[in-house]
Amino acid sequence: MKIRVIKAYIYKELTELVRSRFIIMVFLLPSMILLLFGNGIRMEVSGARTLIVDHDRSPISYRLISKFEHSKYFNTQILPISEAEALGRIKQARTDVVIIIPESFEKRLLHGQTTQIGVFADAAFPSRGITMETYVKGVILDAASEFGHNQANGSITINQRTLFNQAMRDEDAIVPGLIGLVLLVAPAILAALLIVKEKERGTIFNFYASPLSKSEFLAAKLIPAFLLHSLNIFVVFLWAVYVFDVPFRGSFFLYWAASEIYLMISISIGMLISVITRTQIVAVVFTIIITIIPGFMYSGIIMPISSMSGMSQIEAHIFPVMYYNHIVYDVFLIGEGLESAKTLRYLLILLFYAIVLLSLGRLFLRKELK
Amino acid sequence: MNRIFWAIVGKELLAFIRSWQLVLVVLYSFTVNVYISGSGIEMKPRNVAVGYVDDTGGGLSQKILTRLHAPEFLPPQRFGSQKELSRAIFDKEIIVGIVFDADFEKKWRQGQKTQINILLDATAASQAYTTLGYLQNIIFDITSPDIPVEIASHKLFNQNADNHTFMALTELLSIITMITVILTAVVFVREKEQGTWDIMLLMPVDPKLIILAKSFSQVLIVMVGIVISLGFIVMGIFSVPFNGSFVAFALLSFFYVWASAGIGLFIAAVARDIMQVAQLSIVVMMPLIFLSGAWTPIHAMHPVLQTISLVSPLRYYIEGTESIFYRGSGWIDLFPYFTGVIAVGGLMYWIGFRKIGRLF
Repeated sequence: MKIRVIKAYIYKELTELVRSRFIIMVFLLPSMILLLFGNGIRMEVSGARTLIVDHDRSPISYRLISKFEHSKYFNTQILPISEAEALGRIKQARTDVVIIIPESFEKRLLHGQTTQIGVFADAAFPSRGITMETYVKGVILDAASEFGHNQANGSITINQRTLFNQAMRDEDAIVPGLIGLVLLVAPAILAALLIVKEKERGTIFNFYASPLSKSEFLAAKLIPAFLLHSLNIFVVFLWAVYVFDVPFRGSFFLYWAASEIYLMISISIGMLISVITRTQIVAVVFTIIITIIPGFMYSGIIMPISSMSGMSQIEAHIFPVMYYNHIVYDVFLIGEGLESAKTLRYLLILLFYAIVLLSLGRLFLRKELK
Repeated sequence: MNRIFWAIVGKELLAFIRSWQLVLVVLYSFTVNVYISGSGIEMKPRNVAVGYVDDTGGGLSQKILTRLHAPEFLPPQRFGSQKELSRAIFDKEIIVGIVFDADFEKKWRQGQKTQINILLDATAASQAYTTLGYLQNIIFDITSPDIPVEIASHKLFNQNADNHTFMALTELLSIITMITVILTAVVFVREKEQGTWDIMLLMPVDPKLIILAKSFSQVLIVMVGIVISLGFIVMGIFSVPFNGSFVAFALLSFFYVWASAGIGLFIAAVARDIMQVAQLSIVVMMPLIFLSGAWTPIHAMHPVLQTISLVSPLRYYIEGTESIFYRGSGWIDLFPYFTGVIAVGGLMYWIGFRKIGRLF
């Protein structure tokens, strides 16, 4: 090992990062993604713009409407317009839900005849459409069971206990997952540019001609990126705990150790891309595409892995995000730590990934002209 | 004039095709990538893993459990004790746990109040919410069948609330933005980096013409990508419904790609080398894509973010496209989207012309 040469190389890399102002990006990007997405993504639907058309105007229909008015999930508006007009409003995306209470609703109900409440939900944004539909049904069923609770059999109430996230806060559910995304994308982009930049400018020949070995060259390239992004592990942690108020129940050491290993993986992904590609533009586009999309999809933010089927289940297991995110969710919300065999197994899998990817990079890097 | 325009367009297209890696990556983004994101995500509860502890000895509890069927739920798994059930939830193998107390059924038969205990893994919030709704529905159905109210619910525009089509389409729109912005910015910055841009400006040709021709070449590339993606993936594999006018979509896309190229031009005007293009375009694009309503509907955002989102051309494009594809809106309803896209694009070119179209 030529420690002095490596040191000089690292110093050169750091200077270049500062001069090209890329250093701003190193610290800006993770925080920006975390703050934007953490504030913006909402799984819960609240304040859905609801339009109620009440053709009945009876005490019972008013009771039903007041149920909607008192729910924080709906932003109710009652208009005396026709059904067609109401549907026209959905079409112009001016309202999300239309509820239509038919004429003689109360009369039929009291006579025990079947009557129908019409619910129209805008499902152009599908998950939202389903959620709103479920809420509306819930409110109506709730009102209905209140109306007819004097029966022979007893009543059943649902006693729900939500684990890990008692208040069902979106932040708690999303922010830990975002950490997995952020620590994948930002280091990968940085690492992807490091080698290909020299290739495009032709300065890679300095390395071809130098006595530096391949592993030493990689070490010199990756260590600055690794150290800089190690700081981000703490930065994103602070954002999560102090800005988003996500509880932290596990061991900080586990979080830190897992994050460093994960960082090695994402930097290696970037490095592999950098070794294979020939121009910076290809490297950038390619890195963004293969990190952001799987980073989001297989992170468990939007959908738990256990609910995936077929191919996506397999893809999720191939991509390292899933393993890291399991650990992150554990340390933030659950707090079982290494007591759970699954967490330990996932940690080892991450380590395995890091080693394999690093060796692949060394294998593909060339030290001579083709 | 015309000849010069087409000569520049031809030159840029040639340069694009010569870089086979770039061609591959762009092709990959428009096809495989759109396919992956469309096929992967499913937001409605599907294959939700349910576990239960049943101390009642069957009857009512089984009646409730049999209602939890495919495709929304996996067959419920039985656990011996509540402890085992919690362990499985902690390991994320089970999302919803149901616990029936020993006197659950007895109480119900005697007309007393009784309860079902439900444990939800709230880290999968949306699944948890919807599952709860399902259960409420089932229990209501079983316990009080004689209330004569039916709920006739309709999910408009996307009857099965099929998420595949939606995700594939949104992903395509995001990819269009990303590819256009980066490609256009690089086309200009590469010349800047090599010093040939100054020579271009010194030529006796209107710089506006050069800028327009260069952006046009990238717009062409992206439009071809859109057609491929739409034909093979979005309509071919996912068969996204198409309720509106195809001409409207093509035209809206064309204007939108120009607007994105304008953003690329703006980045090119600010950046000095490709490194900076990479940083700037990511820093500009992430909020742009994010604030567009691709991930969260606009009116569900924080009010401040809602206001900022007015400058994102992608917002108009996505809303417009949704309207064309799903709602089948007419030309008049589409007017605001066209205006939005063209206004943002126009502004970007105005800045671009002033900043990059001059030597001094």
